[in-house]
Amino acid sequence: MSQAWWRRFAVRGVFWRHYLDFGVTNVPFYLRPVMIFFWTIFFFFFAGPARRAILSNLKVVLPGSSPLLNQARAWLTLYHFAWTIADAADYKLAKTEFAYELEGEEFLEQLASGPGAILLTAHMGSYDLGAAVFAERFQREIRMVRAPEADAETARHLDQSLERAGAGAVKVAYNVSSMALPLELLNAIRAGEIVSIQGDRPVPNASQRTVGLFGKIVSLPDGPFMLAFVTEAPIFPVFIVRSSFHHYKIIARPPICCGRTERDREAVIEEAMQAWTKTLEQIVAAHWSQWFSLVPIFE
Amino acid sequence: MSDRRGSERGYAFALPRVVAHLAGGKVRRAELSGAEAYGVGILVFGISCVWAGCALLSLVRPLPLRLFFLILLPVGIWVAFLILYYLVSLVIALCRRLGLYPPVTNNPFQHVAIMSLTTLLASLLLRDECAWVKSLGILWLGLLGLNLLAVVWLSLVREG
Repeated sequence: MSQAWWRRFAVRGVFWRHYLDFGVTNVPFYLRPVMIFFWTIFFFFFAGPARRAILSNLKVVLPGSSPLLNQARAWLTLYHFAWTIADAADYKLAKTEFAYELEGEEFLEQLASGPGAILLTAHMGSYDLGAAVFAERFQREIRMVRAPEADAETARHLDQSLERAGAGAVKVAYNVSSMALPLELLNAIRAGEIVSIQGDRPVPNASQRTVGLFGKIVSLPDGPFMLAFVTEAPIFPVFIVRSSFHHYKIIARPPICCGRTERDREAVIEEAMQAWTKTLEQIVAAHWSQWFSLVPIFE
Repeated sequence: MSDRRGSERGYAFALPRVVAHLAGGKVRRAELSGAEAYGVGILVFGISCVWAGCALLSLVRPLPLRLFFLILLPVGIWVAFLILYYLVSLVIALCRRLGLYPPVTNNPFQHVAIMSLTTLLASLLLRDECAWVKSLGILWLGLLGLNLLAVVWLSLVREG
């Protein structure tokens, strides 16, 4: 056994993923609101680092907000998080029907009908469910880049879940510190694939640069922009948020161009990153309770 | 996943489908209504809490202890539900082994178990002396009866 048995029960351990699968196949839909309400209270206390990270991010996203009220907002964020992972598991295991509406449909059509592109998103709403929906709706394969999970068993479980939910159209690649991934993504885009990357928080050992977000200087990954520069593929900001019970909204924004021009590479990438952070600010400000960046971004 | 266009609505229970149908508008069988999910969930959980609260108050006399237990009651009922799901899942596993339960998920069986238990608890509430407790039992049994009638009505008009 490569890891201690008790690590399975840690917040990010595989036990809770299996338990979630048990929950969605055993709890009737009408009892889920009550169950998720209590589980959120449990994790609000049990997942201390995640709660503190949300509080720290909220302080910047909603300046001047009351610390007490932010505790309630942190709970609400965890509540939405619980719903989104439960819905993703529900879709994977029972193919439960979810309704969704599109905002910026023309950009999604553009993304789906074009050649290789980069889908830049954030840790918001049901990212996993969104990828599966996109693959199903537009009949396009999608390669998702994820930050590696802390727990190996959880990572395996998530991989299987994503590939199952996407019916083989969603492939997962991990953002680790190696040269293999950028080359793999480069080839995928050149072969006409869509590569989905989360661009709202840096991954340790991965390329990043500083940029302004909500008036603070933060480090964000610049990999997607370098890829776009080299391949001349457009970057489409796409987000999926939960709008109500079993209802989601897919929000697409105009593509960001980061191709080669007469200007130097650094200036082009910087400008594209500024356009991305502006979009990210608008979406996060409007849907702060669904920004599941469970690490402190602004510290 | 369905692309939501127009005013199509989805309800899992027959009663809201019939009400929506009579009110005009396209409606179909789907678990898409938040009002239905939250409404039924709170009612089922509430009936369990009220029944357990009534039982508890008849056993515990000192006021501070009563308050203490009443505050902890919802958490206790939540844990009781978790245990119930597990126990019912064991029964389902047994039924599957015997080839008596083919559905992919355990939800349909769990639904029947929870509805039966809630109906039993609601019937017990009818015996209570307190008027609002009794009316909660009547409300559940009334809704259950109307839902069964709606099932019959929908099967007659051939709507699933």
